Amino acid sequence: MPLARTYSVALIGVTGHVVEVEADIANGLVGMILVGLPDTALREARDRIRAAITNSREEWPQRKITVGLSPASLPKRGSWFDLAIAIGILAAAGKVPRAAAAGVMCFGELGLDGRLRPVRGVLPAVARAAEEGFGKVMVAAQNAAEAALVPGVRVIAADSLTEAVDWLRGVPGCDGHPAAVEYQGGQDLPGHRGPGGKAASNGDAQAARPGVAMAPDLAELLGQSMARRAAEVCAAGGHHLSLLGPPGAGKTMLAERIPTILPRLDRAAAFEVTAIHSVAGNLPAQVPLLEDPPFLAPHHTATKAAIVGGGSGVIRPGSASLAHRGVLFLDEAPEFARDVLDALRQPLEAGEVVVARSGVTARFPARFTLVLASNPCPCARVAGPSEGCSCSPATRRRYLGRISGPLIDRVDVKIELEPVSRKELLSDRNFSESSLTVARRVAQARERTAHRLQGTPWRLNGEVPGSALRRTWPPAPGSLAVLERSLERGLITARGVVKVVRVAWTLADLAGRPRPTRDDCDAALGLWLGVRR
Amino acid sequence: MSGGPSPRVRLSEEKLARAALTYLAEPGDPALGALLTICSPAEVLAAIKADMLPGAGPGCGDTPASRAALDRALSRWRARLPDLPDDERIAGICRDGVGLTCPGDAGWPDALDQLGRARPYALWVRGRTDLRFACSRSVSMVGSRAATSYGGHVAGEIAADLGERGWAVVSGGAYGIDAAAHRGALAAEAVTIAVLACGVDYPYPAGHADLFAAIAAQGLVVSEWPPGRHPARTRFLVRNRVIAALGCGTVIVEAGERSGALNTARHAANLGKPLMAVPGPVTSAQSAGCHRIIREWGASCVTRAADIIELLSPLSTPDALAPGGAPDVLAPARPSRPDPGAGRGPSRDDLDPDSARVLDALPTRGGAGTSTIAVEAGVDLDTVLRCLGRLAGYGFIERCDRGWRLCKP
Repeated sequence: MPLARTYSVALIGVTGHVVEVEADIANGLVGMILVGLPDTALREARDRIRAAITNSREEWPQRKITVGLSPASLPKRGSWFDLAIAIGILAAAGKVPRAAAAGVMCFGELGLDGRLRPVRGVLPAVARAAEEGFGKVMVAAQNAAEAALVPGVRVIAADSLTEAVDWLRGVPGCDGHPAAVEYQGGQDLPGHRGPGGKAASNGDAQAARPGVAMAPDLAELLGQSMARRAAEVCAAGGHHLSLLGPPGAGKTMLAERIPTILPRLDRAAAFEVTAIHSVAGNLPAQVPLLEDPPFLAPHHTATKAAIVGGGSGVIRPGSASLAHRGVLFLDEAPEFARDVLDALRQPLEAGEVVVARSGVTARFPARFTLVLASNPCPCARVAGPSEGCSCSPATRRRYLGRISGPLIDRVDVKIELEPVSRKELLSDRNFSESSLTVARRVAQARERTAHRLQGTPWRLNGEVPGSALRRTWPPAPGSLAVLERSLERGLITARGVVKVVRVAWTLADLAGRPRPTRDDCDAALGLWLGVRR
Repeated sequence: MSGGPSPRVRLSEEKLARAALTYLAEPGDPALGALLTICSPAEVLAAIKADMLPGAGPGCGDTPASRAALDRALSRWRARLPDLPDDERIAGICRDGVGLTCPGDAGWPDALDQLGRARPYALWVRGRTDLRFACSRSVSMVGSRAATSYGGHVAGEIAADLGERGWAVVSGGAYGIDAAAHRGALAAEAVTIAVLACGVDYPYPAGHADLFAAIAAQGLVVSEWPPGRHPARTRFLVRNRVIAALGCGTVIVEAGERSGALNTARHAANLGKPLMAVPGPVTSAQSAGCHRIIREWGASCVTRAADIIELLSPLSTPDALAPGGAPDVLAPARPSRPDPGAGRGPSRDDLDPDSARVLDALPTRGGAGTSTIAVEAGVDLDTVLRCLGRLAGYGFIERCDRGWRLCKP
């Protein structure tokens, strides 16, 4: 029976679905038919595969070829079924052992000359294959390191269709072709930095990070002690942060330094992050596993699709998802289009982006720390006696009002940065700490938080909703005295109290106290009142 | 009259007579008020039924003019005799969750006696709370029905604050400020009293049926009018004197130039009770009445619950009651307050040493940055942040564009 099967994976978002590729060769009009909801790029595969097979010195069957991709209801897009289809056809024609073809999962785009090109999203696809019990995957050589991250699979890296076919036939490299290389997944590859052992949660892993000496350091932000403290709190507790201040006060500088104090991602988080970046196609070639928390700073002209993800053909993750487990920094936040900012509300709430298109719904994880930076007014001139800002109070209010209430409502820490005086600069020399010191504290605080939040869906203080905070983790008795006083005096609203308590928990974790004391609550209040209202 | 008592609810003859009088005469009828000063209610009821005036007394029927007025009143009251329910029926009403409080009862608030001849003949009551006790610490809060969001917010906040400190809130159950005041007190789980201008079983406005049910569950709904009586325009004005009398003082939150709330204010002023008004924007027509009574009637300007309590309890400090605390009489030996943070706020002497040092480190004029203050005070950054938060929370310092500065005392 001239029928053969191979397997591949279709990705929707970062979720893989196993696709069975069937090739049938029968009598009839010579040609090839592709069925099973293919998109344009996949339809073009017909000509690509034919050229690749011919140019690999294989014989193209001069009969009627039917290729079916099932489940047929799943939309399949892109070029990465090429390899599976080509091998299926060759197996159906009896050129490749059918059993060998059916036992391996294939991803890869074919060039007309038979070369195997890398594709996006290999990591989540291979992970899916492993879950489904496929022991062998065949990928382009450039994708091998990424695919080999998944433990429990054998990765066959081939440079061309010829190599792939030779491997399936069990022929070691002949005709002067190099043979396909096999790797065991979950092990380090040559040229691959290594997954960094277990959870990189102690500060010493930080020291080993290459290029730290050249990297920006929190200590450089002199004169902004409150802001530095706020950054530390946000890093430790995953609180969203809003920075307000005139140009030159150090908003961008601070935001760029937040990644330097975030702990490295643990294995599971690194996998999630790498999968998203793999789907987006912006994984650096030399670094298959992203272990540093991502830092995304989209420009304020970004569209909604660029921020939350979308696209008409293949659904691509947006900045919010690419910043998963990292920092999404919106500089000049009021300049962003209102609907773009509002689109962030749902991911902030749910921790994932859901993009619905006709026929498919893609989900991308998006649990990021949001950092907003705003100028106090659109003219962005430093307010002062000489060079006055000419904006009217109404203009300023309108400008900051562009960040909608529900969005700013999710921000726990708001900091106002003022221009630094010389005296403050000198005084602050005594207190500035390097990123390394702060990162060590942050890592320890996160460990304490994770320990406390065991058995809950949350990992960071910033994710814990106010109701759970009130019910399960009240601060030490008597520690809210000053807060209550401020509530009475109207310095803070009831909603604000919840945020202050949440930040107080992070401060307690940073200081290694079992629960917030009065000192923590007062310090959190100090951070909260650090903005003129 | 026989006054056959019901087997379950025993009403004295006087009570039944007073209940009947609420059916026959409009509340606040000066003729009946005068008559009740010289005769017992039962005598008055018997006289109305017999169409025969009782004997004259001082200020009542002792001049030809007042005699004629009494005659006219008698025919007025007699006109309602056919609709008067019999004693059995009145006792039945008192079984259905509606009570009757009369002068001389244990639950009768003495404050109503200040109304003199305009004193209610009796009060119909829905709810289980003790009226007399509730009125011993109570504030009447009224205002415009067409309240602004500002007014509603302020009324609710003040009422809730008063409730938390153990004060009952008396109001009229209307839309706007009245409803906000009731709801504020309900939110603080405190007693609130709605004084209606119709029967206590007749929800007016109809949209407040749920509110009245909630008030009856937690406080009291009272009325001078018998159950089943509908509201009428003039009845609200008559009712207002009871609102003014039941509170130890009256607060007007928002009132236009011609608001009914000003009528309540007038009653409070006539009764010699403290009159207070919450100011509003000078541009707001809804606050014009408040500003006028501050200017012309000498009402006190109040902005928060503490102001009101201070005015109403001049012999004790407003903070003698912590939120949710019991009245002084019940807790004669209060422990000394351990925490200077609660209540009115501490003085400089109450501060912990670190906070005091940080406060001293602030420049007397202008502001200073966080690190500058830390160096000046000789403390580390964590300490200075905590102390700054504490000091700002207490109101010693505030944020400025150069960092932090001292608040003006």
